[in-house]
Amino acid sequence: MTFTGLIGRVCMFPLQLIISGCVALRIHPNILTFVGVLINVAAAWALGLGKFMTAGLIMVVANIFDFIDGKVAHELNAVSAFGGFWDSVIDRFSDISLFIGLIYLYSRLDRTDYVMVTALAMMFAIMTSYTRARAESLISKCKVGFMERPERIVLFMIGAFTNRMAAVLWVILILSIFTVADRIIYTYRALRDTREVLA
Amino acid sequence: MKRAASLPVRVLWNAFFWTYERATWQYDLMVIAILAFVWLTPPDWLGDPMASGKGPIGWIK
Repeated sequence: MTFTGLIGRVCMFPLQLIISGCVALRIHPNILTFVGVLINVAAAWALGLGKFMTAGLIMVVANIFDFIDGKVAHELNAVSAFGGFWDSVIDRFSDISLFIGLIYLYSRLDRTDYVMVTALAMMFAIMTSYTRARAESLISKCKVGFMERPERIVLFMIGAFTNRMAAVLWVILILSIFTVADRIIYTYRALRDTREVLA
Repeated sequence: MKRAASLPVRVLWNAFFWTYERATWQYDLMVIAILAFVWLTPPDWLGDPMASGKGPIGWIK
């Protein structure tokens, strides 16, 4: 087993307990999604104030909600097309709010360079989601590229807990650019192959 | 010779054009590389607005 697989399995134990609790209380998954974004806004607030440790702790709580909503929907047999749409839309708000928190912080510190790095990282993080969503309206699947939302969230937490947010932002920026490029290349190839088959 | 030259290129291309699933050894390697960059790069080198010092590299001296 790989070490990331092991970490995933270890984290699943407490998460499974929370999922079971939510299922027992019959909490609607869309409510869990919404609570997740509200908590993420609180994390963004803490980031904006430069309180990284607090922000990290709040992010852990927020992302438990983010992670379990789909599983709870599955166990409650409440999986719906709207639920998927709602989850995707709310996830973008969560993502953007964290970046805005950092942009506010770096603006206050008069660090235009990191305002730009954060803004660019935000742009490519959004484009990562958009390219996949748009590609999957044309081809069946476009799941390529490393820097997806879970990776981004874990990196934000690592940056917050260990006070290495600048390095984390550079990683998110560079790997998000690669991910967007991967998705464009993959979609181009898939559409070209389809055209060749049809011709 | 051609094969030897093409291996690093292939490794670089596979790292750039990422198609591996999570919890694979390739994913582990990428995670290790990222964590090494985040934790070992001195904040001063990146002009980190919230952290300073040389980080773990400074401990070596």
